[in-house]
Amino acid sequence: MSAGPYNYSYIFKYIIIGDMGVGKSCLLHQFTEKKFMADCPHTIGVEFGTRIIEVAGQKIKLQIWDTAGQERFRAVTRSYYRGAAGALMVYDITRRSTYNHLSSWLTDTRNLTNPSTVIFLIGNKSDLEGQRDVTYEEAKKFAEENGLMFVEASAKTGDNVEEAFLETAKKIYQSIQDGRLDLNAAESGVQHNPSQPGRTNLQGVLSVQQGGKDSCSC
Amino acid sequence: MSTPEQLAIVQSKFTTGEIVVIAMEAMLVQDWLKTTRLIALVNKGSTNALVILLTSRTPPQVYSDLTIEKILPIDQDFQCDIGTDEEQKDVTDVYLNVTCRKSRTIFEMRPGITTTNLVSAIFQAIEVYQKNKNPTTDFLWIQKLTGSVRNLDSTNDRLLSAADPVIELESSDLVVSRRNIATGKSPIGTRESVVRYQMACKEDDYTYTKTLRIFIGTWNVNGQPPNAITLEQWLSSDEVPPDLYAIGFQELDLSKEAFLFNDTPREDEWRQVVAKSLHHKAEYEQVALVRLVGMMLIIFSQSSHLPHIKNICIDTVGTGIMGKMGNKGGVAVSCCIHNTSVCFVNAHLAAHCEEYERRNQDYADICARLNFQTYVPPKGFKDHDQIYWLGDLNYRITEMDAQTAKQLIADGNLAPVLALDQLEQQRRLSRVFVGFREAEIKFKPTYKYDPGTDNWDSSEKGRAPAWCDRVLWKGEPIASLTYQSHPELKISDHKPVSATFDSKVRVIDVTKYRKIHEELMKKLDKLENEFLPQVTVDTTEIIYETLRFDEPCAKELIVANTGQVPVKFEFIKKLDDTSYCKEWLSITPYTDFIEPGQKCDIKLEVCVDKRSAWKLNSGEDKLYDILVLHLVNGKDIFITVTGTYERSCFGCSIEALVHIPVPIREVPIGRIMELENNKNTSQDPYYVPKEIWLLVDRLYRHGIKTPGLFETQGLHSEILAIRDWLDNGSQDPMPGSVHSVAEALLLLLDSTAEPLVPYNLHRIGLSAATNYLQCKQVIMQLPEIRRTVFLYICAFLQELLTHTQDNGLDAKTLASLFGSFFLRDSPRSRDDRNQRSKSTQAICDRKKAAFVYHFLINDQSDFVGR
Ligand SMILES: Nc1nc2c(ncn2[C@@H]2O[C@H](COP(=O)(O)OP(=O)(O)OP(=O)(O)O)[C@@H](O)[C@H]2O)c(=O)[nH]1
Ligand SMILES: [Mg+2]
Repeated sequence: MSAGPYNYSYIFKYIIIGDMGVGKSCLLHQFTEKKFMADCPHTIGVEFGTRIIEVAGQKIKLQIWDTAGQERFRAVTRSYYRGAAGALMVYDITRRSTYNHLSSWLTDTRNLTNPSTVIFLIGNKSDLEGQRDVTYEEAKKFAEENGLMFVEASAKTGDNVEEAFLETAKKIYQSIQDGRLDLNAAESGVQHNPSQPGRTNLQGVLSVQQGGKDSCSC
Repeated sequence: MSTPEQLAIVQSKFTTGEIVVIAMEAMLVQDWLKTTRLIALVNKGSTNALVILLTSRTPPQVYSDLTIEKILPIDQDFQCDIGTDEEQKDVTDVYLNVTCRKSRTIFEMRPGITTTNLVSAIFQAIEVYQKNKNPTTDFLWIQKLTGSVRNLDSTNDRLLSAADPVIELESSDLVVSRRNIATGKSPIGTRESVVRYQMACKEDDYTYTKTLRIFIGTWNVNGQPPNAITLEQWLSSDEVPPDLYAIGFQELDLSKEAFLFNDTPREDEWRQVVAKSLHHKAEYEQVALVRLVGMMLIIFSQSSHLPHIKNICIDTVGTGIMGKMGNKGGVAVSCCIHNTSVCFVNAHLAAHCEEYERRNQDYADICARLNFQTYVPPKGFKDHDQIYWLGDLNYRITEMDAQTAKQLIADGNLAPVLALDQLEQQRRLSRVFVGFREAEIKFKPTYKYDPGTDNWDSSEKGRAPAWCDRVLWKGEPIASLTYQSHPELKISDHKPVSATFDSKVRVIDVTKYRKIHEELMKKLDKLENEFLPQVTVDTTEIIYETLRFDEPCAKELIVANTGQVPVKFEFIKKLDDTSYCKEWLSITPYTDFIEPGQKCDIKLEVCVDKRSAWKLNSGEDKLYDILVLHLVNGKDIFITVTGTYERSCFGCSIEALVHIPVPIREVPIGRIMELENNKNTSQDPYYVPKEIWLLVDRLYRHGIKTPGLFETQGLHSEILAIRDWLDNGSQDPMPGSVHSVAEALLLLLDSTAEPLVPYNLHRIGLSAATNYLQCKQVIMQLPEIRRTVFLYICAFLQELLTHTQDNGLDAKTLASLFGSFFLRDSPRSRDDRNQRSKSTQAICDRKKAAFVYHFLINDQSDFVGR
């Protein structure tokens, strides 16, 4: 079959959250374009990026929402948590304040997503070892206490960026296999027919069945 | 779907007694498209109906996400069967084929327990019907839901043509489902909005034109009944029968009853005479009728065109004082004829020779306020391909004395007189009817005659002749054929006028449409997922300098499509908000398409008016909002809007105003908020707010004998000057005419959070309306300040009424007007108005008037002393 627009089996929705300037947009850009943006403007709104990855032989389309970190937009960005399958929570290892705010970000995430949402903590700017303000151990402990996955990464060098996005996807995929994430629930929104408009369900996962009608890609 | 919460949302679209048995999501299959719908089985008594709803997001979150699209009564015409998709190997979806009134609808549904339940509920309903065989009258509740009589009345063949998928595609049925990405829905998929836009761009390729003969007529009948006359001389003087008639009347009924309560037997009398006098060579049917007080507009069409006239919708605009009284204004009908949208407006603009500015303002008000709700989103006046404007526009000739004018007219030399016609002059200055055209006037002025004759007005006033009655048009391609008056009809002091046109409308070529549509779908398949929409905005922070009450201020936001694909943007709601922006802000367009490389200027207009001012005064709201500009299938941009509001006495509560002894601009904002929240009130407040006293005093001294006081609209610019005068304080006399002062007084009363008689007393007040003693008791229950203000204004009105012979006022008119302010409906119930029947509203208005009436005709001196 030719590579039509539906050559993937699932769509996962991600959100990236965290204080302003921690490098959320750079992480997204590094992941989708494999490039670093040295002077990236503040995000005034919610950016949108997408990439198709492979987990256990399955093609998965990641649909990633990068939110504005500025405090004044906090009330508005809360609208975007719903239906996320994965949440990447980012702080800047060179600025302790961004780490101190994590508990408030975590509270929002827990309140506004569902229990099966995978939360991944990223300590960004690991290339700036000299300016480090938060130790790896401290953050690791915080992650364990709260049941989060965790890495330190650098949007500049690309270190661990790919890993963070992929590990999250694997975890979600596992949840589906385990049946913890029920795609066939009343509101699963699971999609079997590529000719229909797609939509993700409340778990932020959408499955697209292969085969069926030949998706024309002329 | 079908969780209890969601069922409750669907249920809220219906009233008690109408029970939503089951509801679920389904895909509506229309040849090339599948779009999401909600289908619900609704039960009332022993009857059932299948209701198809549009939802702006799935699942729906609130009542307003849902729009009823179609209702199929389960009666003898209703058939239903289920099937599966033959083409697909792995059969998964259930297909529900519904046939009703010969139109077939197919839904695709996910298999599962809900689907099974729905299907069995439908079959049960069919069985129930076959047992009961309910008469059609049992299904009348459906008529109310659709809001249209045509829908139920429609004959089989009319629905047959409506069932043509192509026609459906172009009708309002295919509404872009507003998806809210924030709720976690995928951006892939739905592309019907893009398709619709692209198809609109290619319209010329799949449509051809057809010429219709359109007859427009207007007549001010001066309150005369059509006793024993017919109108052939006016309506069918031509050889060729028109395809469509739009006939407007003004001053259909001059009685107080019609004026106050919009009730008149004349409507039907004239309608019948018109129907009888239409061209005899063709058969006609009424398409629409709309009336407001004395303004009536009827549309008739040749029967053969009826199936092609859709989306018929009416609206009215009253431009009397405070936009309340319907003695002046306009009535309008909007519809689509084939693929062309057409609007007819019948207007009666302000009278009096010198008042051309007021006429211009009336025109502007009508344009701005006309709103046709059957469209989603509602259509404004401007959003039509063709507009026909008729009516008694009342423009006069003031720069030539009547004698000279009459002589020139008698000599057949119209040109020098026409050159001084106010409408011609104002149009030349682009003050009114910009973009409209009018045919050359070759007939004598249509006003003013001695009734029953062709003689100029011989009364004492001896009014100068004028071309009051006019027909203008806008839009392409319309060819004017005739424009004439019909002096043979003599019962009025005006002569009727007619204009005929050959207008081209666009008709869809089904074969070509399908072909172009298919090509487009292929192209979109390719584009999808390859590109994401991309725009830049010129700013994300919009800051307004000083904003004043009722003074709109607009700023622009430029959105440029810097990406590869067409972008559809729209402003969307935030999580818990009910609207995409605060009520003091309006955004036009709030949604639109932008082609790559193109840009769109969005107008953001802030206007703090009577609905929002009080919230800013009390601190309940701030001039601050974050807008979410959403790109369909793409990112969102936040636009921050801020401004500084200069507080005004308008929007202040009576309770706060009596504690403010100085002009309000001298009072710090914090102090106003304090008073609005009843904190730190001063020791000795005024008995009535000084602003009310000043306005009343001005009227008392200068307006007590003015004819038409409280019936004539003020000028907006003057009302603003009065506002500044009150807010800043001044040694100069109060500016503006007494009419503007009167309107300012009403506006002050209308801008408070609650009306003078608070909402909690309305029910008991209205039920006591006939009994003076009980009404008095209600007034006794008012807080002291409100009681004093109420009695103070009533005392002033009583004073006005002692000068009836000069000002022509009567107690009923004043009671009706002030009743609507003293007992203003709550914003909620005003929204309900559309649902509330006209007659219920009229009863309510009468009661308000009756309530106030007591206090205008009875001596209040015992009261005031308290
Ligand atoms: N050295 C270094 N700089 C980084 C890294 N990631 C981001 N930056 C820089 O940090 C700044 C902020 O990065 P952004 O990606 O814009 O931050 P953000 O979290 O999206 O900020 P908001 O959009 O305001 O919420 C930019 O100047 C980046 O160049 C990193 O890994 N290493
Ligand atoms: Mg950013």
